[in-house]
Amino acid sequence: MSTNTRLSIGVSLLGVLALAACGTTGRDTAAGKAPAGPVKGGTLTFAVNTEPSTCLDPHQSPADVAGLFTRPALDSLVSLDGEGRIHPWLATKWTVSPDQKTYTFTLRDGVKFSDGTAFDAEAVKANLDHIVDPATKSQLAAGYIEPYKGSEVVDPHTVKVHFSRPYSPFLSALATAYFGIESPRSLKQPQDALCKKVVGSGPFVIDEYVVQKGITYHRNPGYAWAPEGAAHTGEAYLDKLEIKVITEDSVRLGALTSGQVDGIASVPPVNVKQVQGDPRLTVTTRQAPGGNYNYYPNTTSGPFADKRVRQAFRDGIDFATIVKNLYFGAFQPAAGPISPSTDGYDKTLEGKTKYDPAAAARLLDEAGWSGKDAEGYRTKDGRRLTIRWGFLKAFAREQRDTLAEQIQAEAKKIGFEIQFVSGTVNEWLEKYPKGDYDLIDFSWQRADGDTLRNLFDTSAIPTAAKFGQNAARLSDKDVDGWLSDALDTTDQAKRAELYAKVQQRVTDEAAVFPVYVFNYLLGTGKKAHGIGWEPQAYPTFYGAWVEQA
Amino acid sequence: MTAVAVPATRARARVVRPVLVRLGTSVLVLWGAVTVAFAGLHLTPGNVVDLLIGSSTVTPEVRARIIADYGLDRPLPAQYAAYLGRVLHGDLGQSYQLHQSVASAIGEQVGSSVQLMLSSFVLAVVVSVTVAVLTAGRRWARAVFSGIELVGISIPSFWAGILLLTVFSFGLGIFPATGGDGPESLVLPSVAMAIPVVATLSQVLREGLELTLEEPFVLTARSRGMSDLGVRLRHALRHALLPTVTLAGWMVSFLFGGAVIIESVFSRQGIGRLTLAAVGNKDLPVVMGVVLIASLLYVVINILLDLLYLAIDPRLRGA
Repeated sequence: MSTNTRLSIGVSLLGVLALAACGTTGRDTAAGKAPAGPVKGGTLTFAVNTEPSTCLDPHQSPADVAGLFTRPALDSLVSLDGEGRIHPWLATKWTVSPDQKTYTFTLRDGVKFSDGTAFDAEAVKANLDHIVDPATKSQLAAGYIEPYKGSEVVDPHTVKVHFSRPYSPFLSALATAYFGIESPRSLKQPQDALCKKVVGSGPFVIDEYVVQKGITYHRNPGYAWAPEGAAHTGEAYLDKLEIKVITEDSVRLGALTSGQVDGIASVPPVNVKQVQGDPRLTVTTRQAPGGNYNYYPNTTSGPFADKRVRQAFRDGIDFATIVKNLYFGAFQPAAGPISPSTDGYDKTLEGKTKYDPAAAARLLDEAGWSGKDAEGYRTKDGRRLTIRWGFLKAFAREQRDTLAEQIQAEAKKIGFEIQFVSGTVNEWLEKYPKGDYDLIDFSWQRADGDTLRNLFDTSAIPTAAKFGQNAARLSDKDVDGWLSDALDTTDQAKRAELYAKVQQRVTDEAAVFPVYVFNYLLGTGKKAHGIGWEPQAYPTFYGAWVEQA
Repeated sequence: MTAVAVPATRARARVVRPVLVRLGTSVLVLWGAVTVAFAGLHLTPGNVVDLLIGSSTVTPEVRARIIADYGLDRPLPAQYAAYLGRVLHGDLGQSYQLHQSVASAIGEQVGSSVQLMLSSFVLAVVVSVTVAVLTAGRRWARAVFSGIELVGISIPSFWAGILLLTVFSFGLGIFPATGGDGPESLVLPSVAMAIPVVATLSQVLREGLELTLEEPFVLTARSRGMSDLGVRLRHALRHALLPTVTLAGWMVSFLFGGAVIIESVFSRQGIGRLTLAAVGNKDLPVVMGVVLIASLLYVVINILLDLLYLAIDPRLRGA
């Protein structure tokens, strides 16, 4: 969801891995009721709000829009449905060794990349090796298979993947576009060439990607290896697919309402009702898995080092009402650190914390912030209760800046002064690894419960040497232990139990202030049908078709 | 020195010296532009390596490799000297983030921007000359158009662009909202970009025309039986053009800056958006490349303008 990879840094983002437990069914279509069956032919034009301007190659890029742009051209070894089940795709079957450190894949026969190269075990090895090669400078994919040791080609249709430790999120990672299988011949090019053109075996072939303009595809003739469970098999319906980049919200919406494009990403929340009221248009929402849009207090320094102050902030501000009023119901208030569509979501968190300004006031008194200055802010030993919020206004999307200002006003009522430290990304990048902030906000999309490890594991605390997402800088031995145990087991029930413990603990510790659950808001015109969804909540076009005039 | 040689040498010096001075200052301007851009970006807080890595977790090996690849371990003066040297060889460097050479990144985008700038420039000149010639010295027309011009200068191009889109693209469906294919996609952005330029140019031009129309030689021309329009076009316009040409230098920078906004609103490719993204991402080589191209353009335009003055005003030729 990042506007680009830079933005991803703090503000929003990326994400990936899969295992979604979505509220809706897996391969449902986005474009409403079709008047008749799918027809072959035609061009579908889609408009997105961001682009992977720096690099198209999902092995390198962390931007989820790189996944969106390359998914039509790339197949994966396995696929993931909306219920979090893994299905065969380019791999027909697989086994996991008893110690869970080795995965053996049997590969599909007869698959060809669009450049004519045959798909085989060597190709799988070349792809995984490419992802972890330091020369690739992978910003996301490599991080998701950190314990990868190597691949071993047993025969042309069998490949073994070795890990240094049990690593349960592997298959769901493999199902994402970030592990899309590219042609080994194409991978031999310099990295920079891959950033402009990616060659795979998918239902579409990339014609050209022009930065600031968009990307065009044509149908891959002879495509016959759709994932198990897809709505149809064989070639894609569309002759051509075109994705345009229209960054301006009102222009993107106008292009949809005037029929210049068939579908758009990110309908502005404020316009959702208007689009829904238009009989020619449809809005489909899809809850994104992973970390919600949350605020993370710095638990190691400043006022928020005191748990009571964190609790007071969380419970003394009516986040839910503010979110409901600001987004007109397009986004739901969040109950915990991760979204309900994430595998391992703990439903019992809902209703656990309540808006209670009186209790917040008591907690602040207990914590010693009992004084009040002339402006109504609480004080302790003559110091004002000031929260420095590293807020990147330039990258704020979905009116997050307005939201922040409303929170600021509400916080004042319970005696907090919020100062926005809104410098440039560069300044922020200096401060973030040092922990020079009291509060940070971002969303973190990833369909696996392992997303909690990104957000709260001690090893994910950002330092000068290693960027991480544990902005709360929480270091809790129990949490680390549960997260590590979850990697060791592929038993979904057991993993869910462990992840529930983590969610309970970070909620008890008030190490996160949940704000809202991000929904992908897809707008489509009447002519477009069959747009599907990736588990990480972005649209796919294999089953898409357009009504012919 | 002999008495004979002196006048010839002096005459040549009179031509050669100003040209040399002009070229010398041009080079200084270009050098200054590169230096300022380099210094400015390095003074901005933030570490280039971190920017390359972005938001993700990477191993120390990956980090070391990026530093080595980009030569970021060398001291600042060495990075600067190396850059100057490469620029002299016509090499603008490699973009850290776009994964391509700066020359090709700029080359990819420049065509679309030049199209836009040229078309809005031509549009602005045609419209403002027409308006100024027709309204100068005519009370009612003048009042109405200065009102319109004031509005034109005051509205932000961003808003004008959205307004044009809403009416002519979303509403009437005459022009496409986005893209850079075909002349029809050029119409709305050119108009949006030309509005403030037209508003300024026609005011300056009208002012000049009105002053000139009061000159005695205009009366002479009229007394010879010349038509009013003929007087305005053949005599007054030429006089009034001089301050306008001076403004053209300003217009180039205005169009360059305007491209940033207009290209974003109309989702067009172009240098403006490239620059915006590069500055935001601290993509040093691209920023410096654009600065260099922009200052080069400036220098060339100003030299051309100096020549144009000579063509327009014969009085300057002897000077």
